[in-house]
Amino acid sequence: MSNPLFDKTTNALGATINFRSLRQNVTAANIANAETPGYKAKVVDFEEALGRAIDLEGWTKETATDPEHMIIGPGAISRSRADVYDNPDVNVSNDGNTVDMEKEMATLQENSILYKAALNLINKKLGALRYAATDGGR
Amino acid sequence: MDFSTALRVSASGMAAQRMRMNTISSNIANINTTRTPEGGPYRRKDVVFEAMPDQRNFGEMVTVKPDEQVQRVQVTDVLSDRKAPLMKYEPDNPDANEEGYVAYPNINLMEEMANMIQASRSYEANVSAVQASKDMAMSALEIGR
Repeated sequence: MSNPLFDKTTNALGATINFRSLRQNVTAANIANAETPGYKAKVVDFEEALGRAIDLEGWTKETATDPEHMIIGPGAISRSRADVYDNPDVNVSNDGNTVDMEKEMATLQENSILYKAALNLINKKLGALRYAATDGGR
Repeated sequence: MDFSTALRVSASGMAAQRMRMNTISSNIANINTTRTPEGGPYRRKDVVFEAMPDQRNFGEMVTVKPDEQVQRVQVTDVLSDRKAPLMKYEPDNPDANEEGYVAYPNINLMEEMANMIQASRSYEANVSAVQASKDMAMSALEIGR
């Protein structure tokens, strides 16, 4: 975490990948249960928590005076958590199911694209490291 | 938080829709069936879907707290329709009663066709989810290449 080779960006991208794979699981469950009576569509919320953690990552550990305080030292990113809850913004159908298939399919594709984008960025970071490690490609 | 969860959950959705498809085919095939082993005309079948916490095996159930939020779907029951059979006046039919009426299954072909299209679309949605999860897992293997 305090390794200067793998900085804040790499940590944040790693966390993004974890959260997106959770969102993939939850969306797949929503699609599988699209016709289960009474099933409530779930959403994964991590963007805000991760954004806050990225802001706090640079701070030193000493600013937290109590273990119960919000983690603001190094490791804030890797310790940030995603919230999974029933989607409040839905239409309830006659059988109590709240899955909106179009919305879920859009989430699925968006999540997949942004996951790959995060992977691409990690690869760029690693490529830059490799370039430096091999003496500028010589 | 792994890809096998997404794949397993999507597979459960596909299996449930396939099961539903089987009952719909059975309903369409038996639309004129007047005799069944349990007696009387064929009764329309319907599946019951139920959401269940995703657990791989018993060992995991006791050791790992299951992720309640990721639920797979399962067909827990196949119910027979309780609608009264359709009575048609066919005195020549060997299954006719004393008044000359034959009891036919109360199956609406339009309803079955609509359900069939819905089942196949839901199946396709699960296939798309599998495809997306697979693409993500494959590109994760490319890290550092």
